[in-house]
Amino acid sequence: MSIISDLFGKSPFGPLVEHTKKVHECVEMIRPLMEALSHENYIEIRELHNRVSKLEYEADKIKHEVRSQLPRRLFLPVDRIDLENFLRCQDKIADYTEDFSVILTIRNTKIHPGLIDKFFKLVDQVFQVTGTLLTAAVELQNLAEVSFSGAEAKRVLKWLDGLGEEEWKADRIARDLSRDIYKLEHEVDTLTIIFYEKMIRKLGQIANEAENAGDMLRGMLVR
Amino acid sequence: METFVIGIASLLGLYMAWNIGANDVANSMADAVGSKAVTVGQAVILAGICEFAGAVLVGAPVTDTVRKGIVNPDTFLALTGLSPAQAAALFVIGMTSALLSAAIWLNISSIMGLPVSTTHSIVGAVAGFGIVAAGWSAVEWPKMAMIVASWFVSPVAGGIMAYILFKFINRFILGRDRPARAAIKYTPYLVSAVTATVVLATIYKGLKHVIGNIQWLTPEVSIMLTVVASILTGLISRVILKRRLRGKERLPVGEQLELVERVFVPIVIITSCSVAFAHGANDVANAIGPLAAVVRVIETGTVVHKVGVPFWVLVLGGFGIVMGLATFGYRVMKTVGTDITEITPSRGVAADLAATATVLICTRMKLPISTTHTLVGAILGIGLARGLGGINKSVTNRIFGAWFVTVPAAAILCVFLFLLGKMYYFDYLTEVCTK
Repeated sequence: MSIISDLFGKSPFGPLVEHTKKVHECVEMIRPLMEALSHENYIEIRELHNRVSKLEYEADKIKHEVRSQLPRRLFLPVDRIDLENFLRCQDKIADYTEDFSVILTIRNTKIHPGLIDKFFKLVDQVFQVTGTLLTAAVELQNLAEVSFSGAEAKRVLKWLDGLGEEEWKADRIARDLSRDIYKLEHEVDTLTIIFYEKMIRKLGQIANEAENAGDMLRGMLVR
Repeated sequence: METFVIGIASLLGLYMAWNIGANDVANSMADAVGSKAVTVGQAVILAGICEFAGAVLVGAPVTDTVRKGIVNPDTFLALTGLSPAQAAALFVIGMTSALLSAAIWLNISSIMGLPVSTTHSIVGAVAGFGIVAAGWSAVEWPKMAMIVASWFVSPVAGGIMAYILFKFINRFILGRDRPARAAIKYTPYLVSAVTATVVLATIYKGLKHVIGNIQWLTPEVSIMLTVVASILTGLISRVILKRRLRGKERLPVGEQLELVERVFVPIVIITSCSVAFAHGANDVANAIGPLAAVVRVIETGTVVHKVGVPFWVLVLGGFGIVMGLATFGYRVMKTVGTDITEITPSRGVAADLAATATVLICTRMKLPISTTHTLVGAILGIGLARGLGGINKSVTNRIFGAWFVTVPAAAILCVFLFLLGKMYYFDYLTEVCTK
């Protein structure tokens, strides 16, 4: 009933950090999925896929909460568009992770032993990209505290600078892996190659979206 | 007979004061309660003390304005065919109608959930009956213009001040590389500013009506005392800050920020108390201004008077506010406390300090303003300074809506009650006022 408390209402940054953490929980499932695949443990893959689906759904719920509050806010400290785009990029990360888990379930694919190391290298690098994004994004609460300016903002901007390079490295590993796959075109059947490509493509997209999210976050910080 | 009329008027004044306490006081302490600096129970007690102190110590200037600054009592005498007693009777009916109508409007809008200003209500009501009773010239239009202007200026001033204050806090303390160290250095200035504002507003030009003849409290002495008090509190706070924050500058930024906010907790309590104090000072007039007018008129039997506000009227007003706070205000404050608010102590300090300064300055200028709207303006100012995660648009719309509706609504209600009162009580009161 007090006007003053009604005035404040809910800031979107708390839920935004929640969303970031939930999305990262999804991404954390990629390595277990890859490991299960390398051990040909298809039951485990199914199980992991269910967990990813659930996490992605929970992330969606948080996303809806943020979106529903946004139009009613005046005087947002950051550009509404940047915030919305950041949210959308993170949402895509979760979606693509779920897509990745689906790819692994629709066919019992076997990974050629010569490719396993490179596949894991790609997964780890993608995780590096998303991890860097996470470190920066959870600072959103602190950033809100300091009005997205000052020393804290500069610190986060520096972390985000590294993001582009990490994503580039991921792209290189992906290209490398693709080349190795095509070298095996006489050993491995076509359908399996298609699935390898699907997997690589999906992982690449995750890294891309993480970099895009970082760009949006940078947009929020640069005045 | 006289005491009976004064008694009724006092009851109405008390009723209005009770409404003010129930409605407004929660907003004074909202920053402290919302940032979890105090519990609701503590807030109620603190608010009660500070509101009462503000009302009694600094409440007289605005009370004077509401009493005789809006509607000129002389114009009633000038009405043709009226004896002084009859003029007095009209005036009394008008003022009591104003009290009753403003209080009723407050009650109605509370039920409807409209955030209404107690000040706008009473000023609208008084002006309303003045026009109907004694024509357009009854209202002191220059003064009225200044009052209405101040209703626009005070939220803006509060906003600008809060903007600057928060930019200062953010730039010099929160946004720093090592917030803990910056806090030790710069927070004492804030504490001094709070002290200076409250002390100066209270003692400048003396507390004549409270302590009687204190000849030595000249303006120069007041300023000196203010400076000394501010420096003292600044130094004390520096000592306390050093003890609490020393050595914490190596911690991660997030933790340092948390510590700094915790350091701001006692400060936001003090600033919220000062808002309550300022509110008591400015808003008590809404209840007792008309009452003081009635008392003087009944006592002297005429509308012409130059004497000030009786002390017991100030006390009655303060008491009424505290009662309203204790009974209904507790419930309202509870909703402040349990809702998730995004206010932190640092924001609260900036908003409160800006609001206090603005309200107290206007009080000394004898201008009745809305404390709540000033506080809203201050918070909007902080929002502009990127200090909040946004502000609820629908609430600001409601506030602006109520802004335009209140004065006409209260005025119409008052006119209605005034005409009723004139029909039934005119003769009775003329008798009372015949000396």
